[in-house]
Amino acid sequence: MGNEKAKIRKLYAVSSGNRKYVFSNPLRDNIRIGNRKYDIKLKQDDKFGTYILWKNRKYPVEVVRSRQNRYEILFNDISYVFTIETPFGYRRMKVLSRQKGRKEKELVRSPMPGKIVDVLAREGSQVLKGEPVVILEAMKMQNEIQSPVNGTVTKISAKPGVIVNKDDVLVEIKVEA
Amino acid sequence: MSIKRILIANRGEIAVRIMKSARKMGIESVAIRTAVEPSALYLSYADVVFDNTDDESEIPVFLDIDKLINIALKTGCDAVHPGYGFLAENAYFADKCIDNKIEFIGPSPDAIYKMGNKTIARKIALSNNIPMAMGSQGNISNEEEAVKIASKIGYPVIIKAASGGGGRGMRIVRKPEDMEKMFIIASKEAEKAFNDPSVFIEKYIENPKHIEFQILGDKKGNIIHLGERECSIQRKHQKLLEEAPSSALDEKLREEMGSMAVKIAGAVGYYSAGTVEFLLDSYRKYYFMEMNTRIQVEHPVTEEITGIDLIEQQIRIANGEELRIKQKDVRIKGWAIECRINAEDVQAGFAPDPGKIEKLSMPDDDYVRVDTGVTAGSAIVSSYDSMIAKLIVKGSDRRDALKKCKLALDKVWVKGVKTTLPFFRMLIRHPKFTGGNFTTSFIEKDLDQFYYNSEYEEMLAAWLATKLFIEENLTDESIKPDFSHSREIDPWLLNKRISQF
Repeated sequence: MGNEKAKIRKLYAVSSGNRKYVFSNPLRDNIRIGNRKYDIKLKQDDKFGTYILWKNRKYPVEVVRSRQNRYEILFNDISYVFTIETPFGYRRMKVLSRQKGRKEKELVRSPMPGKIVDVLAREGSQVLKGEPVVILEAMKMQNEIQSPVNGTVTKISAKPGVIVNKDDVLVEIKVEA
Repeated sequence: MSIKRILIANRGEIAVRIMKSARKMGIESVAIRTAVEPSALYLSYADVVFDNTDDESEIPVFLDIDKLINIALKTGCDAVHPGYGFLAENAYFADKCIDNKIEFIGPSPDAIYKMGNKTIARKIALSNNIPMAMGSQGNISNEEEAVKIASKIGYPVIIKAASGGGGRGMRIVRKPEDMEKMFIIASKEAEKAFNDPSVFIEKYIENPKHIEFQILGDKKGNIIHLGERECSIQRKHQKLLEEAPSSALDEKLREEMGSMAVKIAGAVGYYSAGTVEFLLDSYRKYYFMEMNTRIQVEHPVTEEITGIDLIEQQIRIANGEELRIKQKDVRIKGWAIECRINAEDVQAGFAPDPGKIEKLSMPDDDYVRVDTGVTAGSAIVSSYDSMIAKLIVKGSDRRDALKKCKLALDKVWVKGVKTTLPFFRMLIRHPKFTGGNFTTSFIEKDLDQFYYNSEYEEMLAAWLATKLFIEENLTDESIKPDFSHSREIDPWLLNKRISQF
């Protein structure tokens, strides 16, 4: 196993927007832009916590979550999600993504913790993209949770008065063909 | 001065703000410690802290009129400052204070009631010839009536809560088919938020600017205005950035709108600080929207350009003092911008992101003012609003203020929760915003991305993800030459990572 690990010379960080960044393994602490190399330093201290020092500026960084080869990084208050792939894994990923078809079912999830005030969707009813399906109250505001697609409501998990967490499934919609 | 001790019936940054002015005036403050935030920063500014942590009631103490009156009496307060939100615009609370010989630092219960009820406020504005958008005569009882009136006024219309404010119970309706659904949503929201389901309808002014005038009035009937604030940068009627003055007004329009604001305040015998809100359309016609009978979140921008401490004025007025500032003494100097740095996830539709603030560092330049109720280690709790701090920047003119704001935004450092900072970093670079060419629909219509990141930020984030991947998966512990890399990573960062599994 140690030998196999040592053989990996290159890694790809693929962003959720499908941009690909190539890094060498072992990872260098600098990045070349044009003709110049710039040092990257990962540091931490009591005042700022963990940060990256780049071109004389500090940028706050945090790892929000990681699972297997998927990393959600908070960099300067913005989230980025990457999957890290070996050259072999990257080729496989590209093949798989080509085979993957269109989504058939859409899960409408709660974007924030809150309380369900009202469920506007009915099981079996047609909804249009942008149509409010659930009213969620969070931090003193009532928020319309809208359907992201045109389709038919197949299941309703949200119930008025119930407290939900972020990412809880509220409604399932069968996507219109 | 007869006011000697004030109960601060509020929390967070506004509690801190009020206590700072009180201390400057030699007045003592009493703050309330709650179980939700037992070690909040505002408590450290108080002369006396009333411990209410054993209160098991479901309603927050800041909304509990009887309890607040009791605390005020028990702690020997002769005045109460309500701040904003909570009971700040509750006429019954103001009345109760007076009944108990406690000075309510705000306007009279009568003025709060009249301006708080939007249908009454509309009638007052109408009878005083204040320009207003066309609308329903009074409240609307059902969706059929709503459809009938809307067709008379012409779409689009806006449904508003009669007892509303802060954007709740408000819905824009563009076609008759949507009226029923929107009417029900608005009415339900109004009932939930204000305990009053009544709503009314107004012609919806498309793409207006939000211009509001700061008012000060004393109990002798003197009323002045301190110029305007522009609060057009808002999302779902929640203001995000405010500035004073506004680039949309010239001296003539300022004088005209200012005198209208003074007139409507006078019509209800207004005293204390208040705000008259107008919409300004693209033809520079203005319409009275509502009057807020309290100190506003965005009051610092007015303070910065006029040099007047509004909280101090509120206290003096409550104390019965006559306004020493006359209209002709009010001089507007410079330009101020306020950014509301909230714990919100800009990438997830500004969803609140409550949590513990791990690190917090604010710029200390002399052109920056920071009003905050938190510090490193504080928590943004989901029971209250998501504000972390107000970053207020002052420049000699708008251009200078924008330049300084850009610098200041890069110096704000918050870790632990996501913030609205990336939004402001984008906004401050947006040509429509810097050109002054924006309306209340700016966020909804003119933006395709809600945040700013420089060219290399994603690449640097990718570098970090790759680094962690290598450390977790490809590093053979036995041959790992040194341990320095792992030591560089914050243990908290590692904890947070592990806890996700």
